[in-house]
Amino acid sequence: MSGQSDSRGFTFSAAELEFLAEDEMIEIVPNLRIKPLSLICGDFGPFQPQIPTQVPIWLAVALKKRGKCTIRPPDWMSVEKLTLVLEAERDKASDFEALPFHYVEISRLLFDHARDDIPEVYMVRSLIEDIKDVRFHKISTGLEKVSSRTYAMKLNLSAMEVNVIRPFVTGSLETFYELGAPEIIQESERQEYRRPQTADRGPRRELRR
Amino acid sequence: MKIRSMKLREAHNNNGVSNYCTILWDRTAEHIVTASSSDVSISIHDALLPSVTARSLRNHKDGVNALAISPNSTLLASGSSDRSVKLYRFPGGEFESNISRFTLPIRSLSFNRQGTMLAAGGDDDGIKLINTIDGSIARVLKGHRGSITCIAFDPNSEYLASVDSVGTVIIWMLQSGTIIHTLKNIAPKTSSDFSTVTALGWSPDGELLAVSGLKNDVVMYDRDTAEKLFTLRGDHTQPVCFLGWSLNGKYLATSGLDKQVLIWDVDKKQDIERQKFDETICCLAWKPHGNALAVIDVMGKYGIWDMVIPSTMKSPTEGAPDLNSKKSDGLLFFDEEEHEPSISGSLSDHGEDSLVGSEPPSRKRVRHFINDEDSDDDMSSHPKVESRKRLNISSKDSTKNRNATSTGTAAAVTGSVMQEAFQSGSTPVQPDKRRFLCYNMLGSITTMKHDEYSHIEIDFHDTGSGPRVPAMTDHFGFTMASLNENGSVFANPCKGEKSVSTLMYRPFKSWANNSEWYMKFEEEEVRALALGSSWVAAVTNLNFLRIFTEGGLQRHVVSLDGPVVTASGFGDVLAVVTHSSPSLPSNEQMLQFEVFNVSNGTQPMKGRLPLTPGSRLTWFGFSEEGQLSSFDSMGVLRVFTNQYGGRWVPLFSASNLKKKDENYWMVGLNSSKLFCILCKSPDKFPQVVPKPVLTLLDLSIPLASSDLGAENLENEFILSNMHLSQIQRRIKETEALGQDAASLDDEALNSEAALDRCILRLIASCCTGDKLVRAVELVKLLSMEKSVRGAIKLVTAMKLPNLAERFNTILEERLLKQEAKETTPKETTHHKTEVDTNKPFTLPDTFKAPEPVNESPSVQLSSHSFVKKKKTEEPAKVAKVTEPKSTTKPENNGLVKNNINEVSQVQVQKKTNPFAKSSNNQEKASLLDSLKRMQKNDNAGNK
Repeated sequence: MSGQSDSRGFTFSAAELEFLAEDEMIEIVPNLRIKPLSLICGDFGPFQPQIPTQVPIWLAVALKKRGKCTIRPPDWMSVEKLTLVLEAERDKASDFEALPFHYVEISRLLFDHARDDIPEVYMVRSLIEDIKDVRFHKISTGLEKVSSRTYAMKLNLSAMEVNVIRPFVTGSLETFYELGAPEIIQESERQEYRRPQTADRGPRRELRR
Repeated sequence: MKIRSMKLREAHNNNGVSNYCTILWDRTAEHIVTASSSDVSISIHDALLPSVTARSLRNHKDGVNALAISPNSTLLASGSSDRSVKLYRFPGGEFESNISRFTLPIRSLSFNRQGTMLAAGGDDDGIKLINTIDGSIARVLKGHRGSITCIAFDPNSEYLASVDSVGTVIIWMLQSGTIIHTLKNIAPKTSSDFSTVTALGWSPDGELLAVSGLKNDVVMYDRDTAEKLFTLRGDHTQPVCFLGWSLNGKYLATSGLDKQVLIWDVDKKQDIERQKFDETICCLAWKPHGNALAVIDVMGKYGIWDMVIPSTMKSPTEGAPDLNSKKSDGLLFFDEEEHEPSISGSLSDHGEDSLVGSEPPSRKRVRHFINDEDSDDDMSSHPKVESRKRLNISSKDSTKNRNATSTGTAAAVTGSVMQEAFQSGSTPVQPDKRRFLCYNMLGSITTMKHDEYSHIEIDFHDTGSGPRVPAMTDHFGFTMASLNENGSVFANPCKGEKSVSTLMYRPFKSWANNSEWYMKFEEEEVRALALGSSWVAAVTNLNFLRIFTEGGLQRHVVSLDGPVVTASGFGDVLAVVTHSSPSLPSNEQMLQFEVFNVSNGTQPMKGRLPLTPGSRLTWFGFSEEGQLSSFDSMGVLRVFTNQYGGRWVPLFSASNLKKKDENYWMVGLNSSKLFCILCKSPDKFPQVVPKPVLTLLDLSIPLASSDLGAENLENEFILSNMHLSQIQRRIKETEALGQDAASLDDEALNSEAALDRCILRLIASCCTGDKLVRAVELVKLLSMEKSVRGAIKLVTAMKLPNLAERFNTILEERLLKQEAKETTPKETTHHKTEVDTNKPFTLPDTFKAPEPVNESPSVQLSSHSFVKKKKTEEPAKVAKVTEPKSTTKPENNGLVKNNINEVSQVQVQKKTNPFAKSSNNQEKASLLDSLKRMQKNDNAGNK
């Protein structure tokens, strides 16, 4: 995936998704004492040594980088839970197991920054990779038979997965739409024709360009 | 010479790569044990039923290079590339311990004849002689240049022979650990992948040492002189990689790299039997009672070669020397046990005369350990035994000898037991694991026992501000420790005659060098330690309380009333718990606590320490605020308060949380929270790794479940009441000392506000629960006038005008009383009466007028306060709660009478009020509502 989002705004880049995921909360065990932090996004803390507290991932990672805390991996990131999820994913052809919306990004962030805090990190990592593969495979096979009545969105898709299929789904849905209701399309085309005319009225649009 | 083909069965999947595999028989020839250096598991095969799936022991993290079974077949040892030597019970296969660790892979293991000693060697430069009983290292034999590939004890326990990968054989004297003979370059070099090794073995009578030679032969060396006596040369076309003596020493089986196994008649120096295999046989073992040979090849396939020795010849077991002659052991690589017809029972006797054997105390230690294990097993069925078991574990090494003898009886007697001394925040000794000597809110002291010393680490939770303390090597074997900001104190009990009980203090920062100090106790033993600001206290088995200064000056020695249980320090205060009398038959211990002020030399408090029946004290210390607290094994936290002349109040009970699968390991508490470490059952205490994380639990008094259904609020109510009374006591104390109590005043104000909030919420729940009497009682407890007004507002909003009235009267009474109090000293009596007469007039007015409307009280209240402010100069600080009930003060008499008149007047009017209200508000409220209200009011009126 490219480093920047695509210019039409259809998809996010991985880095952008990671950025979004950094707002998720995670539990850390600080090893120093800090007064509560009052930030724009909320108040976190107080931080007391050895007493777990909830902070956004970005803060956790920042503290971790300075060696001020250990990150406690979320519940779902344990080998047992992931094994169960993986089994369930493999068993059910159409359903997706409930995982956090940002599971790909969160696990990636933790693998990058807090690898020593995750028990059995290799196992966890390979399990998450497997789950990811199974799910992406399911998605791609599912998309092969997209019909006008596919409700892809009501499934437990994660941010990354939605992001991957977004251009295709929106594109194909648009095509369905076009094919299914040509008269509306014509109307919308007409509207499009109209739009430049209205835009012509003011000089602002010109200026922006 | 006939050549038969042998079918081999796969024991370990080596993936087609040559790997060194090991095979062993047990003493009774019922099991075959195999291992492979490519497989983490050890397989125990049933020799009688080979089709049964083998049991596998998967304790190693890397391939298992070496196995050994003790001669009496009760212990199985394994050495692995993961650099650990593990012991298992045999034939069960239960993991016993990691008896030793190396820095490099282990290649060879061997038990001595008595099973008391295990020799382990490998890529490290020394052979370790390990006491199998306690895991202590008796000796490290250094001298080999390469990896040690094979070790063999001399059957007569005099020598040890070892061979390394470069072909050097060394014969060691066991008693002194010195090298007697070094035979360089006499054996073939080992392949670099260690798929085969160089082998050597003592003949069962110990007279000959067989070593594979350089010319594809086997060379026999003399026992004492190490002279080359003769060689066995024959059909081997490549070097011999393994050899095994038969039980009687008459035959020798050799396996060569040419993939064949030859059987030799040693006396005739001739090969008598041959078997070809598909792969190189890397290990073989004679069957203990019989004419069979177990072999395993480098691919991990094993088989049993039956009828090895032709029936025309003597059986390999015939004439095998029996045990008592002490010449029986055909000490092969790993398989001494095969020559033991019946060794069990005589093991310990031999243990005594083993050369470098363990000393008696250490054996006792193991028995003690095993006892614990046993009671551990019992635990599941008898929960009562469990407490006693913990007691034994937590008891220190000092009491080990006693424990060794008393554990059995303790478990048998159903009566009560007096608990041993313990340190709060320490965890029991566990083999090969780091344990906590001290864990508190500040940090932890951990220790790990090594061979002859311990390794102690001090860590602070707050890495930002706590001092960094270098790890420490401890040669004393400290079992007790205590930690605070300034330093740490350690002590060890006396162990045997040699070591005496020692106390060591180690400050974290000191301006002088070498400021740590030691105290030795002759004929005395430290049982408990405590550390405070600039003092150290130790309680000994003679019931002496010894107090030292930070610098090591012996300050006081005081006799205590009974045997110590534990001690704890906080600032100037030292608290000691002792047994006051034997436990009751109902298994309730009689403990008492004494509190000393070390700097003043006073004893401010003393009393009984209550415990839940049938429990033990597991933690004793101070809260962050310095309140004395105790935690027992039933999970009840008690805090010492001044209520009722000094009582312990239960502030937490684990049974209230109703989580059966969790145990709480107490660490500390503050005024509102309990800090503990959650341990999943059946664990009772945390491990050092992974680093435990504190859990905060709310303090909760074990309240009865009331009909109100607001236990949380009631709990909060009692707690904040206690908190407030504490603060007030502190204010009094500081004022008595003539210090400024302003900050405490603020705190008191805050906690008063918190208490009032809580009471208001309780009032609300009382109102919804229709417990109006309780609500009135609560209002009387409100400390701030503002809160009473809030309560009135609340009940009015809840449409309980009757209650609002009562609240109003309470408020009035309170205001009047306050005024009375304040005006008497300040103003003249004349003025006062004026105020009094003024007040009743204004009050009913404001009360009556807006009554029908719902917001009325607020209006009335504001005017009320206005009136009040005008007339009385109320101090900024809100006065303490005054009991509204005790109204009959002489100076108030006239006033009260006056008031009563007014109130009755008001009441008369009020009786009509509901009607007026209902008629007024008919368009708003339903008829039913108004009827209800009427009824209520009537009821209240009747009351």
